[in-house]
Amino acid sequence: MPIDVLTVEDLSFRYNSSDVLSGISFSIKKGDYIGLVGPNGSGKTTLVKVILGLLKPYIGRITLFGDDIAAFSRWDKIGYLPQHIAAMNPRFPATVGEVVAMGLLSKKQFPKHMNRSDLAEVDRILDLLDMKKLKNTPVGELSGGQQQRVLVARAIVNNPEFLIVDEPTDALDPEMRDRFFDIMQTLNKEKKVAIVIVTHDTGNIGRYTSKLLYVDKKIVFYGSFEDFCTSREITQFFGEFAQHVICHRHNQNPNCPPGDHGTD
Amino acid sequence: MELTEFFRYGFLQRALIAGSFIAILCSTLGVFLVLRRFSLIGDGLAHATFGSVALALLLRMSPLYVSIPIVMLCSLGILKLTERARIYGDAAIGVVSSLGIAGGVMLSSMAGGFNIDLFSYLFGSILSISEAEVYISIGLSIFVLLLIIFYYNELLSITLDEDSAKASGIKTESINTMFVLLTAVTVVLSMKVVGIMLISALLIFPAVTALQIARSFKAVMLTASLSAMASVVSGIVLSFSLDLPTGATIVLINFVFFLTGLTYRRIVKA
Amino acid sequence: MTITILTFLFFPACGKNENITVKEKKIKVVTTIFPLYDFARQIGRERIEVNLLLPPGVEAHAFEPRPADIKRIQDADIFLFTNKFMEPWVAGLLKGIDTRSLTVIDTSQGIILLQRSDNHGDEEHAHTHESATADPHIWLDLSNAMKMVDTIASQLIAKDPQGKEFYLKNADEYKKRLEELDKKYKNTLAHCKNRVIVHAGHFAFGYLAKRYGITYMSAYKGFSPDAEPTPKRLVEITKIVRRYGVKYIYYEELVTPKMANVIAKETGCGLLMLHGAHNVTREEMESGVTFVSLMEKNLENLKAGLQCL
Repeated sequence: MPIDVLTVEDLSFRYNSSDVLSGISFSIKKGDYIGLVGPNGSGKTTLVKVILGLLKPYIGRITLFGDDIAAFSRWDKIGYLPQHIAAMNPRFPATVGEVVAMGLLSKKQFPKHMNRSDLAEVDRILDLLDMKKLKNTPVGELSGGQQQRVLVARAIVNNPEFLIVDEPTDALDPEMRDRFFDIMQTLNKEKKVAIVIVTHDTGNIGRYTSKLLYVDKKIVFYGSFEDFCTSREITQFFGEFAQHVICHRHNQNPNCPPGDHGTD
Repeated sequence: MELTEFFRYGFLQRALIAGSFIAILCSTLGVFLVLRRFSLIGDGLAHATFGSVALALLLRMSPLYVSIPIVMLCSLGILKLTERARIYGDAAIGVVSSLGIAGGVMLSSMAGGFNIDLFSYLFGSILSISEAEVYISIGLSIFVLLLIIFYYNELLSITLDEDSAKASGIKTESINTMFVLLTAVTVVLSMKVVGIMLISALLIFPAVTALQIARSFKAVMLTASLSAMASVVSGIVLSFSLDLPTGATIVLINFVFFLTGLTYRRIVKA
Repeated sequence: MTITILTFLFFPACGKNENITVKEKKIKVVTTIFPLYDFARQIGRERIEVNLLLPPGVEAHAFEPRPADIKRIQDADIFLFTNKFMEPWVAGLLKGIDTRSLTVIDTSQGIILLQRSDNHGDEEHAHTHESATADPHIWLDLSNAMKMVDTIASQLIAKDPQGKEFYLKNADEYKKRLEELDKKYKNTLAHCKNRVIVHAGHFAFGYLAKRYGITYMSAYKGFSPDAEPTPKRLVEITKIVRRYGVKYIYYEELVTPKMANVIAKETGCGLLMLHGAHNVTREEMESGVTFVSLMEKNLENLKAGLQCL
């Protein structure tokens, strides 16, 4: 039986004496493509940070590729694309090449110096993302879309098996957004990379991902987008109109009659 | 007087050697400190040293052996404050800095005065470096620079984005702790050799100058080191021929380099 | 009748009480630097209560008074300071305090202040700057010290006329000691192999050197230890040491002798202290040093260093 990429059992997390997450349990398998959605302050980013080992302590159990997170050491299997990084501003003096190379560190031993094959890997990924010309450009001089591509490159240069993306499309225009999801699609379908995309854009994300994980301190829903649109629990949770709006975003007509239209 | 004659004087030779090593050391540390908004840590730790030396004298112990551990603790304190108290580095430094000075003044009072003037004890001058201090400077510089070279990519990754660094398995807490302790030791020892004015300047100026003109992180490190060393060497030579105080001349040359970098950047952009 | 006898019985008692309270009411004197403190206590002895503002070990030129110090000055009867160049903060201080019952004395009255005299730097520059500042170290010329003793004595007498004879007697005794010391200096320093004092401290001994006809060189440009010596100056001093066969470099009190070590290392000279008497360490204070004892030790060191007979 193949090992789950991620299992979360009964996870609870408190911050400043209030529950941010409570009793979360779910698992992710190889090739899953999941949208992690929920309103602001629902704990989505916290969940991601706990999974990445960035936040402690927590109650419950988390395993990555079969190992408990405390004993896990193959961080090179995991790619992380944060929402933005504070340092990515005009002041930061690193080049695209230097930033992307940071993505290789998880696989390296001390002292973590870049060798020729590492540099070749960086070139390969820049080529893939059509950024070869920008290799020696300081990241601070790039546009928002270009900077995001740099972060994507950094996240995937190590060929991770599990990719976590946090709110990727806020700063992007529609064309950039499409390109971004194309890359994600390729990774998921061809390389079987398990992907979790955190977003508050519930409706749109359903177009790309195969499953929806709706979190609001607890898990409200975990399943396919179709199930999301027909689930009675969701109707109860959101109300019929909201469910309809989310599920039928392809048709912005306010007079669109309720009921199942299918997803076109 | 000829430059050749100039180089025959022991104190000038020592100034050049120790000064150059300390310049490279401080400018390299300085790049990381400036990018992480810890620029004034040199000043802050100097004040902490003042307090710790006062304590040492009160307890009739050797000041250097007391101040190094205490200042290392203070630097850890600064780090913890930024993590726990949710304030930026500059405020954390301010907290420790004020505490250091106040502590020193309080302890001075309690002791009813000391047998030496505290300030003169602590704060060296680039012209009064002893042979032992040259060896200390060289040893310290090599030690710290080697560590920075070994941990270069980790430090870069953490400076760029601490969360991503942590998520990639880098032991960010350990490395941050190591870095801040190294800074503490560097400040205490270098301060005794060349004085606080120079240390503060060498921690900040070369880094900000490099940030104006360098276009990759590696270039920033190299530019900062070169700029620092050039300022020390030219500062010593210039202060000699123009009969100026050496330390201040070096600082002013650093400022001139910075202005040059700034102007260059403006021109290139236009 | 009974009332008269009773009153007579009480009167002597009353008189005695008055005498006791007068004697216990000591004159409060606050001084800035150590020599003034020492002079005052030698003259006033048990009739006065002297306070030295400088805490032990603190460098005099860097001193700034704290609130407690200002209060101490305010509560005193007499406040003695050296001159406006040694304590530039006095002018500002006086504006802020109530001087009705306080006598503030500039002890440099009647003393001529010198400019710098060791040909340091450009002469032209020296003139434009140095008219604004003068050498404040007047007490290191013993004839000046004697004048300062007179000034202090006359102020004590003005505040406490009943002690006039007491103060005059003590002042005369002390001045005699200073005179004897001055003679000793003159005699010793008249026959020295070397007539150049090379001082790795700030320019403090101009007055002393002038009085005994010795050349004095300081490594520092200014009259206080704040500024750094320049490399050129150090080279000059090294050359002078070599040219005149100087055997000892003098370092100053309280400050770590880093500069002296540098020059000594460069020239192979030995090191001796020349105590400027601005202030003393806690240990020195506890061991009971006086201005005279410090100057006697200075003379010993000068004799050894300049190789006098």
